[in-house]
Order: sequence, then structure tokens, then C-alpha cells
Amino acid sequence: MQIGTVARDAYLAGRPSPPWVRPYGDPALDVAYRLARHAGTITEQWYQQVITEGMHPLEWVEIVGIVVSTISPVAFARAIGNPVPGFPDPLAGEPHGREADELAPAALNWVPVASPADQTASVVQALSALPDEWGNLWRLAESQYMSDAQMADPRWNRGTLSRPQMELLAGRTSRVRECFF
Amino acid sequence: MLRWSGTESGTPADLAAIAEGEGDGGLPFGAELVAFAEAIGGWDDAALTAARNRLAVAAGQAFMIDAAAVVANFEMMTRVADGTGARFPAETAVLRADLDARLAIGGFTSAR
Repeated sequence: MQIGTVARDAYLAGRPSPPWVRPYGDPALDVAYRLARHAGTITEQWYQQVITEGMHPLEWVEIVGIVVSTISPVAFARAIGNPVPGFPDPLAGEPHGREADELAPAALNWVPVASPADQTASVVQALSALPDEWGNLWRLAESQYMSDAQMADPRWNRGTLSRPQMELLAGRTSRVRECFF
Repeated sequence: MLRWSGTESGTPADLAAIAEGEGDGGLPFGAELVAFAEAIGGWDDAALTAARNRLAVAAGQAFMIDAAAVVANFEMMTRVADGTGARFPAETAVLRADLDARLAIGGFTSAR
């Protein structure tokens, strides 16, 4: 909840801290902050620095999963002019800690992924070390954009935007966010 | 992906709309879509309201809402890519070189 709250507030902040500032003095929250607000400034060097300081690589992956599943509905609500949705109540009990059966280092990502690595696109395998985060990501992608099966057909659309119009939005958003990938 | 899907659908894409935010990409409502994506990417609420209204008036409320969903999806996917160091296979570099140069993305910090 704290990570999601930091991500939401960082995304909406009117006067954010610059990317090199770690405003919380807490590795998990600082990673969430930078990813939510300054994602295009994250480098492999910074990832390695945070891991060297003691964060487990799968903790990093989980933070990415929480941040992206928070930002997406917040961005949508803001875009259409609706109130930003609140968070659901936390569930009772301990975290389940579910991981992929076997992990592997990846050539196409900094983070470990489900084995075998590099058999699919890097963005597809990115969260695969943690199946529930991976599932959240692709459920959101299917509802907001399209499923893998729909992606294979360049003429598929929702009946509103055409595929080229969707890709224009995707491309310009990626360019504005200075996302190399 | 824009160039590919544009060719398949018979609507060729003009990459200036992606690279510089100029023009309409050769697409219906293209200028309104680019302005909407840029306004979501910025933090000026008045500019976002204006861009939202302009798109909704031009293309309809349902179209604007679906456009917002697509942008929200790429607010998510760009962070997945940036947060996990997503890369293309080295063997595809030659195929992407022209497009990367046109989009001027090689100098992005996220490429490091």
C-alpha cells in the first residue's frame, strides 16, 4: 500500500523532486518514486547500485509490478477527468511470496525472469519472475489496449480508434516519456 | 509498430507526429490524438482539460475514453520497459537503425 501510495502521489505531484533525489531514504519507496515520476532516467547502473545496497532483485521486480498497476488506472482517471480511484483495503494474512518455478538471468532485461530466458520479447518476460505481477500487467494491457491474440491482427480495433490511431498514441506517449524501448 | 499497422490498414503513417509531435500522422483526428497524449504526459491540468474536450468534440466521447485507455496502457508499458531494462535482441539493431535515428531515441537515458 505504501509503495502504491508513493507511486500515485509521485505521478500526480505538481512539484516533484528531481530524479537524482531519493526523497524517502527507503530503497523500496525511492525506487517506486523514481519509476512513477522519472522512469526514463533509470539506468542499469542505478539498478545495480540499489541491488548492491541490499535490495533483492525480485523485490525490485515486485516494486515495478506494484507501480505500474497503480499508475495505469490513475493515469486513465486523470486523462478522462474522473476522480483518481482509491486503493482497495489490504487483505489479511501474510504475503504469499509466489515466484516462478525456475528463474534465469536475462540478456534482454536487467532483472531475472522465468526460465528459459529470452524466448519472448523483453517487455513480455519482464515481470515473469513473479507470476501474479505478470498476470496483473497483462490483464490491464488487455483491457486498456489489446490482447496478444488481437495484437497479431493489425486490423483489429475496438470500433473507435483504428490500429494506426492506437499506435500513434502509443508512439507519442513513449516518445514524450523518453522510453528507448 | 505504427508504420507496420498503418501499412496493413492502408493508412500510411507519418512519423513526424511521433518524433516531434507535429502534424496529424496522416490519420483522422491525428492532431487531436497527439495533443491529448502530450497533455496526459504533462502536468498542466488546464491543458489536459482543453485537449480532452477538443478530442471529444471532434471524435466523440467513446473515442476519447478509448484513447485515454491506450495512453494509460503506455504509461504502464514504458515503466515496465524502463524499470526492467528491456532491450531488443542485438541481431535486430540493423533493422531498427533507420527508425531509431528518425525518432532520435538513441540518446535517451533509458538506453543506457
